[in-house]
Amino acid sequence: MIYRAFLVVLFLVIAIGGGAWSVWLVLEQAPPFGKLTSGPWEAFPVAGTPNADPYSRARHVRSGGLALGPSEGIVLTAHTDSSNGALSRNCTYRIEGSTPPARLWTLYVADAQGNALPGSKQKRSATHSQMAVLENNNRFSIAVSSHPLPGNWVAVEGDGRMQIVLTLYDTPLAAASQLSEISLPTITQAGCDA
Amino acid sequence: MLRLFHAIVMGLIGAGIVHLVILFLLPNYSVRDAWTQVSSVADYYETVRLRGDNSTTSALPHPADPFIDAAACRFNLEDGMLSVRGQGDIPFWTLAIYDERGLNTFSISDRVSSGPLLDAVVLTPIQMQRLKADEANEGDQSLYLETSVIEGFVLVRAFVPDETWQPKVSAFLDSLQCEALESQ
Repeated sequence: MIYRAFLVVLFLVIAIGGGAWSVWLVLEQAPPFGKLTSGPWEAFPVAGTPNADPYSRARHVRSGGLALGPSEGIVLTAHTDSSNGALSRNCTYRIEGSTPPARLWTLYVADAQGNALPGSKQKRSATHSQMAVLENNNRFSIAVSSHPLPGNWVAVEGDGRMQIVLTLYDTPLAAASQLSEISLPTITQAGCDA
Repeated sequence: MLRLFHAIVMGLIGAGIVHLVILFLLPNYSVRDAWTQVSSVADYYETVRLRGDNSTTSALPHPADPFIDAAACRFNLEDGMLSVRGQGDIPFWTLAIYDERGLNTFSISDRVSSGPLLDAVVLTPIQMQRLKADEANEGDQSLYLETSVIEGFVLVRAFVPDETWQPKVSAFLDSLQCEALESQ
């Protein structure tokens, strides 16, 4: 009789505990699904829309974010530079490439949690397509650094990890199923503070 | 021994079922989603700014992009079609319809609209059918956005190129008016 009760309890512990634990594990610990990558850039175009898989949907609802729809744009995030080194606020980076196919783009530096950095007193940690000065052939070069630099300069302060977020608005890319066909800007490290 | 093994196997199958049940029920019971948070501060058809210094709205979800300002209003299409209007000559705006789980189900950019006027009508396919049958509406310049979402919120994002644009963009977002139109 006791053995039987033990088996029932064991069944319930495995079923309820295991079920809840495995959901938590996938939502909180595992990397999200549906990622598109191109060089250092990654994007989750369907996250936060009804087309996302149930795991992405549950994850999104729990985080309470406001996802961009395909007609609005796409968010590209880089955690590393183009040679796979983690982005650090102590280093200077150069973001170079041709203008992405979008009516408007913005670029900002965020902390590890994705919150936009406020920037320094004189300069914001962000720029956009109408602010950045283009070079010949519609190419641009943006410096992300804690030191003032000529040209397009995005100021960062403090230290620790950071991510660079490039948002393209009104772009055919948002409906694409692959990013690799489009040439996105490269992120090159150009020295670090000791 | 066999019964112990049996209990463990049944437990694992049960865990799979519990996993799926939690996964699919979670979005319906979440309190952190954008819809619940917008609902906590704004009544239906009340425009609420999702950025700004107002302390009541600082806890609300807002666009992560520092150059984007936004405003939202909740709707229920059972009250009738939703009319969304805003006015102001600003560089770029988008409009998105989020459902009651906070998922972006439909979006447009200002490319589809002509002039500095945002004039959209959100409606269900049935309301659209009724509207088409009524010839009195011909010549109307509004954008008709058909959606299967009955209850949700509309979010208008606006691009703020720099601080000098902020008053103009704020005026545009504050001018945003949501109201339920009586269905004919």
